Amino acid sequence: MRRLIFFSLSIAALAIALAAAQAAPPAQEQPRVFRLGGANGPEAASEDPNRPVPKLADGTTDLSGIWAGGGGEEIPRLLKPGELDQILQPWAKKLMSTRTDGMDPYQYCMPGGPLRLTGGFAWRFVQHPTVNARYIFQLQEASAHTYRQIFMDGRKHPEDPTPTWLGHSIGRWEGPTLVIDTIGLNDKFWLDGSGIPHTEQLHLIERWTRTNYTTLKRDVTIEDPGAYTRPFTVSYTAKLGTPDSEIMEYICIENNQYGLAQGIQPPAKGETGK
Amino acid sequence: MKKTLWVLAAGLALCMAAPLAAHHSWTADYDGGKPVTVKGVVSKVEWTNPHTHFYVDVKNPDGTVKTWNFEMASTLALERAGWTRKTLPVGAEVTIGGFGGRAVTERAIAASITTADGKALFVGKPGQ
Repeated sequence: MRRLIFFSLSIAALAIALAAAQAAPPAQEQPRVFRLGGANGPEAASEDPNRPVPKLADGTTDLSGIWAGGGGEEIPRLLKPGELDQILQPWAKKLMSTRTDGMDPYQYCMPGGPLRLTGGFAWRFVQHPTVNARYIFQLQEASAHTYRQIFMDGRKHPEDPTPTWLGHSIGRWEGPTLVIDTIGLNDKFWLDGSGIPHTEQLHLIERWTRTNYTTLKRDVTIEDPGAYTRPFTVSYTAKLGTPDSEIMEYICIENNQYGLAQGIQPPAKGETGK
Repeated sequence: MKKTLWVLAAGLALCMAAPLAAHHSWTADYDGGKPVTVKGVVSKVEWTNPHTHFYVDVKNPDGTVKTWNFEMASTLALERAGWTRKTLPVGAEVTIGGFGGRAVTERAIAASITTADGKALFVGKPGQ
Protein backbone atom coordinates (compact mmCIF):
# COMPACT_ATOMS: atom_id res chain seq x y z
CA MET A 1 0.00 0.00 0.00
CA ARG A 2 2.82 2.37 0.94
CA ARG A 3 4.49 1.69 -2.37
CA LEU A 4 1.22 2.28 -4.19
CA ILE A 5 0.83 5.65 -2.50
CA PHE A 6 4.42 6.53 -3.32
CA PHE A 7 3.97 5.51 -6.94
CA SER A 8 0.70 7.39 -7.32
CA LEU A 9 2.14 10.52 -5.76
CA SER A 10 5.16 10.31 -8.02
CA ILE A 11 3.02 10.09 -11.14
CA ALA A 12 0.82 12.96 -9.99
CA ALA A 13 3.90 14.97 -9.09
CA LEU A 14 5.44 14.48 -12.52
CA ALA A 15 2.24 15.59 -14.17
CA ILE A 16 2.18 18.86 -12.28
CA ALA A 17 5.92 19.49 -12.13
CA LEU A 18 6.00 22.07 -14.90
CA ALA A 19 2.97 23.89 -13.60
CA ALA A 20 4.35 23.78 -10.09
CA ALA A 21 7.50 25.51 -11.25
CA GLN A 22 5.29 28.46 -12.17
CA ALA A 23 3.50 28.31 -8.85
CA ALA A 24 6.38 28.41 -6.43
CA PRO A 25 5.70 29.79 -2.97
CA PRO A 26 5.86 33.57 -2.78
CA ALA A 27 8.87 33.66 -0.51
CA GLN A 28 12.38 33.83 -1.94
CA GLU A 29 14.20 30.55 -2.50
CA GLN A 30 17.59 29.78 -1.05
CA PRO A 31 20.32 28.46 -3.32
CA ARG A 32 20.57 24.68 -3.21
CA VAL A 33 23.55 22.40 -3.51
CA PHE A 34 23.41 18.79 -4.56
CA ARG A 35 23.51 16.67 -1.45
CA LEU A 36 23.91 12.93 -1.27
CA GLY A 37 21.19 10.91 0.40
CA GLY A 38 18.49 13.51 -0.07
CA ALA A 39 19.23 16.34 2.31
CA ASN A 40 20.92 14.23 4.94
CA GLY A 41 24.19 13.43 3.33
CA PRO A 42 27.25 15.53 2.62
CA GLU A 43 27.62 17.62 -0.47
CA ALA A 44 28.65 15.39 -3.39
CA ALA A 45 32.34 15.41 -4.27
CA SER A 46 33.15 17.55 -7.28
CA GLU A 47 36.29 15.62 -8.20
CA ASP A 48 36.59 14.08 -11.64
CA PRO A 49 35.29 10.51 -11.28
CA ASN A 50 37.95 9.38 -13.74
CA ARG A 51 40.83 10.37 -11.49
CA PRO A 52 42.87 7.29 -10.55
CA VAL A 53 41.47 5.34 -7.61
CA PRO A 54 43.83 6.05 -4.67
CA LYS A 55 45.94 3.30 -3.09
CA LEU A 56 47.43 2.92 0.36
CA ALA A 57 51.13 2.30 0.92
CA ASP A 58 50.55 -1.46 0.97
CA GLY A 59 48.89 -1.34 -2.44
CA THR A 60 45.34 -1.93 -1.25
CA THR A 61 42.55 0.37 -2.37
CA ASP A 62 42.07 3.48 -0.26
CA LEU A 63 38.43 3.44 0.82
CA SER A 64 38.69 6.35 3.19
CA GLY A 65 36.65 9.46 2.70
CA ILE A 66 33.09 10.21 3.50
CA TRP A 67 30.46 8.20 1.68
CA ALA A 68 26.68 8.17 1.38
CA GLY A 69 24.56 5.33 0.04
CA GLY A 70 25.76 1.79 -0.44
CA GLY A 71 22.94 0.12 1.47
CA GLY A 72 19.52 0.56 2.92
CA GLU A 73 17.38 0.16 -0.17
CA GLU A 74 14.49 -2.24 0.15
CA ILE A 75 15.72 -5.60 -1.11
CA PRO A 76 12.57 -6.48 -3.09
CA ARG A 77 13.19 -3.40 -5.24
CA LEU A 78 16.66 -4.70 -6.10
CA LEU A 79 15.46 -8.11 -7.24
CA LYS A 80 14.08 -9.23 -10.56
CA PRO A 81 10.28 -9.38 -10.88
CA GLY A 82 9.02 -12.51 -9.15
CA GLU A 83 12.39 -13.30 -7.58
CA LEU A 84 11.33 -12.47 -4.03
CA ASP A 85 8.50 -14.98 -4.24
CA GLN A 86 10.93 -17.72 -5.28
CA ILE A 87 13.44 -16.86 -2.59
CA LEU A 88 11.27 -16.70 0.50
CA GLN A 89 10.39 -19.85 2.40
CA PRO A 90 6.65 -20.09 3.17
CA TRP A 91 6.97 -19.06 6.83
CA ALA A 92 9.08 -16.04 5.85
CA LYS A 93 6.57 -15.03 3.19
CA LYS A 94 3.77 -15.24 5.73
CA LEU A 95 5.68 -13.23 8.34
CA MET A 96 6.67 -10.56 5.84
CA SER A 97 3.03 -10.07 4.84
CA THR A 98 2.16 -9.16 8.42
CA ARG A 99 4.96 -6.67 8.96
CA THR A 100 4.31 -2.94 8.93
CA ASP A 101 6.53 0.13 9.35
CA GLY A 102 5.62 0.46 12.98
CA MET A 103 7.10 -2.97 13.80
CA ASP A 104 10.53 -2.17 12.38
CA PRO A 105 13.08 -1.87 15.22
CA TYR A 106 14.98 0.64 13.08
CA GLN A 107 12.07 3.05 13.52
CA TYR A 108 12.85 2.99 17.23
CA CYS A 109 16.53 3.75 16.71
CA MET A 110 17.83 0.19 16.97
CA PRO A 111 20.61 -0.86 14.57
CA GLY A 112 19.63 -2.12 11.14
CA GLY A 113 22.40 -4.68 10.68
CA PRO A 114 25.27 -4.40 8.20
CA LEU A 115 23.12 -3.51 5.19
CA ARG A 116 21.49 -0.50 6.83
CA LEU A 117 24.70 0.72 8.44
CA THR A 118 25.24 2.55 5.19
CA GLY A 119 22.57 4.54 3.42
CA GLY A 120 21.58 8.14 2.94
CA PHE A 121 23.45 9.38 5.96
CA ALA A 122 27.20 9.85 5.86
CA TRP A 123 29.56 7.06 6.86
CA ARG A 124 33.24 6.23 6.62
CA PHE A 125 35.59 3.33 6.15
CA VAL A 126 38.58 3.68 8.46
CA GLN A 127 41.57 1.63 7.34
CA HIS A 128 44.63 0.95 9.41
CA PRO A 129 47.39 2.80 7.58
CA THR A 130 50.03 0.09 7.78
CA VAL A 131 50.81 -3.18 6.06
CA ASN A 132 48.98 -6.21 7.49
CA ALA A 133 46.19 -4.13 8.93
CA ARG A 134 44.34 -5.87 11.71
CA TYR A 135 41.04 -4.03 11.38
CA ILE A 136 38.91 -1.96 9.08
CA PHE A 137 36.11 -0.03 10.72
CA GLN A 138 32.92 1.39 9.33
CA LEU A 139 31.66 4.40 11.23
CA GLN A 140 27.97 5.11 11.01
CA GLU A 141 26.64 8.61 11.50
CA ALA A 142 23.03 7.44 11.76
CA SER A 143 20.78 5.96 12.86
CA ALA A 144 22.29 3.84 15.62
CA HIS A 145 25.41 6.06 15.54
CA THR A 146 27.61 3.01 15.82
CA TYR A 147 30.63 1.29 14.30
CA ARG A 148 31.32 -2.01 12.60
CA GLN A 149 34.55 -3.91 13.15
CA ILE A 150 35.95 -5.99 10.31
CA PHE A 151 38.88 -8.24 11.16
CA MET A 152 41.59 -8.18 8.48
CA ASP A 153 44.24 -10.32 10.15
CA GLY A 154 43.27 -13.66 8.69
CA ARG A 155 41.39 -15.00 11.67
CA LYS A 156 38.43 -17.32 11.15
CA HIS A 157 34.89 -16.94 12.40
CA PRO A 158 34.31 -18.37 15.88
CA GLU A 159 32.66 -21.80 15.96
CA ASP A 160 29.42 -20.70 17.57
CA PRO A 161 29.29 -16.90 17.81
CA THR A 162 26.75 -15.26 20.04
CA PRO A 163 24.36 -13.54 17.63
CA THR A 164 24.70 -9.75 17.61
CA TRP A 165 23.27 -6.80 15.68
CA LEU A 166 26.29 -6.46 13.39
CA GLY A 167 27.68 -9.97 13.62
CA HIS A 168 31.24 -11.21 13.27
CA SER A 169 32.94 -9.85 10.15
CA ILE A 170 36.22 -10.99 8.59
CA GLY A 171 37.67 -9.27 5.54
CA ARG A 172 40.25 -9.90 2.85
CA TRP A 173 41.35 -8.26 -0.35
CA GLU A 174 40.76 -9.88 -3.72
CA GLY A 175 42.73 -7.52 -5.95
CA PRO A 176 40.99 -4.14 -5.71
CA THR A 177 37.94 -5.60 -4.00
CA LEU A 178 37.38 -5.76 -0.25
CA VAL A 179 35.48 -8.94 0.56
CA ILE A 180 33.69 -9.03 3.93
CA ASP A 181 32.21 -12.26 5.24
CA THR A 182 29.75 -11.93 8.12
CA ILE A 183 27.95 -14.46 10.31
CA GLY A 184 26.74 -14.37 13.91
CA LEU A 185 23.90 -11.95 13.23
CA ASN A 186 20.81 -11.86 15.41
CA ASP A 187 17.26 -11.87 14.07
CA LYS A 188 16.14 -8.82 16.05
CA PHE A 189 16.78 -6.32 13.28
CA TRP A 190 15.20 -6.00 9.88
CA LEU A 191 17.49 -6.15 6.85
CA ASP A 192 15.56 -3.29 5.25
CA GLY A 193 12.33 -1.35 5.44
CA SER A 194 10.40 -4.00 3.52
CA GLY A 195 10.59 -6.37 6.48
CA ILE A 196 12.10 -9.29 4.59
CA PRO A 197 12.69 -11.83 7.39
CA HIS A 198 15.94 -13.56 8.23
CA THR A 199 17.22 -15.93 10.91
CA GLU A 200 20.41 -16.31 12.93
CA GLN A 201 21.72 -18.46 10.05
CA LEU A 202 22.13 -15.30 7.97
CA HIS A 203 25.43 -15.16 6.10
CA LEU A 204 26.47 -12.06 4.16
CA ILE A 205 29.30 -11.91 1.65
CA GLU A 206 29.98 -8.33 0.61
CA ARG A 207 32.24 -7.29 -2.23
CA TRP A 208 33.21 -3.61 -2.07
CA THR A 209 34.90 -2.18 -5.17
CA ARG A 210 35.84 1.45 -5.76
CA THR A 211 34.93 1.44 -9.43
CA ASN A 212 36.07 5.03 -9.92
CA TYR A 213 37.20 7.92 -7.76
CA THR A 214 33.73 8.88 -6.57
CA THR A 215 31.88 5.55 -6.70
CA LEU A 216 31.92 2.54 -4.41
CA LYS A 217 30.02 -0.52 -5.57
CA ARG A 218 28.79 -3.09 -3.07
CA ASP A 219 27.56 -6.49 -4.21
CA VAL A 220 26.12 -8.58 -1.41
CA THR A 221 25.34 -12.27 -1.54
CA ILE A 222 22.69 -13.05 1.05
CA GLU A 223 22.41 -16.60 2.29
CA ASP A 224 20.08 -17.91 4.98
CA PRO A 225 18.96 -21.55 4.81
CA GLY A 226 16.55 -20.77 7.62
CA ALA A 227 14.57 -18.20 5.63
CA TYR A 228 15.46 -18.40 1.92
CA THR A 229 15.32 -21.18 -0.63
CA ARG A 230 18.68 -20.18 -2.16
CA PRO A 231 21.38 -17.50 -1.91
CA PHE A 232 20.77 -14.33 -3.88
CA THR A 233 22.77 -11.20 -4.68
CA VAL A 234 21.86 -7.52 -4.51
CA SER A 235 23.92 -4.48 -5.49
CA TYR A 236 24.22 -1.06 -3.94
CA THR A 237 26.21 2.06 -4.83
CA ALA A 238 27.80 4.63 -2.53
CA LYS A 239 28.94 8.05 -3.68
CA LEU A 240 31.82 10.12 -2.34
CA GLY A 241 31.19 13.29 -0.39
CA THR A 242 33.34 16.41 -0.50
CA PRO A 243 36.78 15.98 1.12
CA ASP A 244 36.02 18.61 3.77
CA SER A 245 32.78 16.99 4.93
CA GLU A 246 32.68 15.14 8.21
CA ILE A 247 30.39 12.68 9.92
CA MET A 248 28.30 14.39 12.56
CA GLU A 249 26.64 13.42 15.82
CA TYR A 250 23.18 11.91 15.56
CA ILE A 251 21.64 10.32 18.63
CA CYS A 252 18.44 8.85 17.28
CA ILE A 253 17.02 7.83 20.61
CA GLU A 254 17.21 11.38 21.94
CA ASN A 255 13.79 12.51 20.72
CA ASN A 256 12.21 9.85 18.55
CA GLN A 257 8.52 10.62 18.18
CA TYR A 258 7.85 8.05 15.48
CA GLY A 259 4.30 6.75 15.58
CA LEU A 260 2.75 9.39 17.82
CA ALA A 261 1.19 11.35 14.94
CA GLN A 262 -0.40 8.15 13.61
CA GLY A 263 -1.62 7.21 17.06
CA ILE A 264 0.71 4.34 17.95
CA GLN A 265 2.94 4.14 20.97
CA PRO A 266 6.46 2.72 20.69
CA PRO A 267 6.71 -0.91 21.76
CA ALA A 268 8.70 -1.83 24.81
CA LYS A 269 12.37 -2.45 24.07
CA GLY A 270 13.00 -6.03 23.07
CA GLU A 271 9.52 -6.53 21.70
CA THR A 272 10.23 -5.30 18.20
CA GLY A 273 11.27 -7.15 15.13
CA LYS A 274 9.88 -10.63 15.63
CA MET B 1 -5.30 27.39 -8.03
CA LYS B 2 -1.82 28.60 -7.18
CA LYS B 3 -2.26 27.34 -3.65
CA THR B 4 -3.36 23.95 -4.92
CA LEU B 5 -0.35 23.74 -7.16
CA TRP B 6 1.93 24.71 -4.29
CA VAL B 7 0.44 21.96 -2.16
CA LEU B 8 1.03 19.51 -4.99
CA ALA B 9 4.55 20.82 -5.44
CA ALA B 10 5.16 20.28 -1.76
CA GLY B 11 3.79 16.78 -2.24
CA LEU B 12 6.30 16.31 -5.01
CA ALA B 13 9.12 17.37 -2.74
CA LEU B 14 7.88 15.05 -0.05
CA CYS B 15 7.33 11.98 -2.15
CA MET B 16 10.60 12.44 -4.01
CA ALA B 17 12.43 12.38 -0.69
CA ALA B 18 14.30 9.15 -1.17
CA PRO B 19 12.74 6.72 1.27
CA LEU B 20 15.93 4.71 1.33
CA ALA B 21 17.72 7.65 2.83
CA ALA B 22 15.15 8.50 5.39
CA HIS B 23 15.11 7.37 8.92
CA HIS B 24 11.36 7.09 8.70
CA SER B 25 8.84 6.82 5.95
CA TRP B 26 6.99 10.11 6.53
CA THR B 27 3.77 8.76 5.06
CA ALA B 28 3.36 6.36 7.97
CA ASP B 29 2.88 9.20 10.42
CA TYR B 30 1.53 11.95 8.19
CA ASP B 31 -1.27 12.22 5.68
CA GLY B 32 -0.29 13.71 2.31
CA GLY B 33 -3.98 14.40 1.76
CA LYS B 34 -4.17 16.59 4.84
CA PRO B 35 -2.34 19.83 3.92
CA VAL B 36 -2.12 22.38 6.72
CA THR B 37 -0.87 25.95 6.91
CA VAL B 38 -0.64 27.86 10.19
CA LYS B 39 0.65 31.26 11.21
CA GLY B 40 1.92 31.69 14.71
CA VAL B 41 4.83 32.14 17.08
CA VAL B 42 7.54 29.59 17.82
CA SER B 43 7.09 28.62 21.47
CA LYS B 44 9.63 25.79 21.77
CA VAL B 45 12.50 24.37 19.72
CA GLU B 46 13.74 20.80 20.03
CA TRP B 47 17.09 20.74 18.19
CA THR B 48 17.25 16.99 18.38
CA ASN B 49 17.46 13.76 16.44
CA PRO B 50 16.26 11.73 14.70
CA HIS B 51 14.28 14.86 13.84
CA THR B 52 13.93 18.42 14.97
CA HIS B 53 10.60 19.70 16.28
CA PHE B 54 9.29 23.25 16.27
CA TYR B 55 6.29 24.04 18.42
CA VAL B 56 4.15 26.91 17.16
CA ASP B 57 1.45 28.69 19.17
CA VAL B 58 -1.45 29.64 16.95
CA LYS B 59 -4.19 31.99 18.13
CA ASN B 60 -7.71 30.89 17.39
CA PRO B 61 -10.40 33.44 16.48
CA ASP B 62 -11.90 32.99 19.95
CA GLY B 63 -8.64 34.04 21.59
CA THR B 64 -7.55 30.60 22.73
CA VAL B 65 -4.15 29.29 21.70
CA LYS B 66 -3.41 25.93 20.12
CA THR B 67 0.14 24.59 20.04
CA TRP B 68 1.22 22.74 16.93
CA ASN B 69 4.16 20.33 16.90
CA PHE B 70 5.91 20.48 13.53
CA GLU B 71 8.42 17.77 12.76
CA MET B 72 11.37 18.78 10.60
CA ALA B 73 14.51 17.22 9.18
CA SER B 74 17.38 15.94 11.32
CA THR B 75 19.92 18.35 12.77
CA LEU B 76 22.39 16.92 10.25
CA ALA B 77 20.27 17.84 7.25
CA LEU B 78 19.52 21.30 8.61
CA GLU B 79 23.08 22.09 9.70
CA ARG B 80 24.50 20.89 6.40
CA ALA B 81 22.05 23.30 4.76
CA GLY B 82 23.29 26.18 6.86
CA TRP B 83 20.89 26.16 9.80
CA THR B 84 21.90 26.50 13.41
CA ARG B 85 19.77 25.92 16.49
CA LYS B 86 19.20 29.67 16.53
CA THR B 87 17.94 30.06 12.96
CA LEU B 88 14.32 29.88 14.04
CA PRO B 89 14.27 30.92 17.70
CA VAL B 90 11.52 30.95 20.26
CA GLY B 91 9.43 34.06 19.70
CA ALA B 92 9.84 34.12 15.92
CA GLU B 93 6.71 34.66 13.86
CA VAL B 94 6.34 32.06 11.15
CA THR B 95 3.99 30.66 8.59
CA ILE B 96 4.45 26.91 8.33
CA GLY B 97 2.91 24.67 5.72
CA GLY B 98 2.94 20.92 5.82
CA PHE B 99 0.80 17.87 6.38
CA GLY B 100 -1.17 16.83 9.43
CA GLY B 101 -0.65 13.65 11.42
CA ARG B 102 -2.83 10.71 10.50
CA ALA B 103 -4.31 10.51 13.99
CA VAL B 104 -3.29 13.85 15.51
CA THR B 105 -3.57 16.74 13.04
CA GLU B 106 -1.65 19.16 15.28
CA ARG B 107 1.34 16.83 15.11
CA ALA B 108 2.30 17.84 11.60
CA ILE B 109 5.29 17.63 9.31
CA ALA B 110 6.70 20.84 7.86
CA ALA B 111 7.09 21.29 4.12
CA SER B 112 7.65 25.05 4.06
CA ILE B 113 8.56 27.77 6.52
CA THR B 114 8.32 31.47 5.85
CA THR B 115 9.53 33.98 8.41
CA ALA B 116 7.79 37.30 9.16
CA ASP B 117 10.08 39.13 6.71
CA GLY B 118 9.07 36.82 3.88
CA LYS B 119 12.18 34.67 3.85
CA ALA B 120 11.73 31.00 2.95
CA LEU B 121 13.80 28.64 5.06
CA PHE B 122 15.13 25.31 3.92
CA VAL B 123 13.07 22.61 5.59
CA GLY B 124 14.75 19.49 4.31
CA LYS B 125 12.74 16.49 3.40
CA PRO B 126 10.37 14.78 5.78
CA GLY B 127 11.58 11.68 7.44
CA GLN B 128 15.21 12.69 7.34
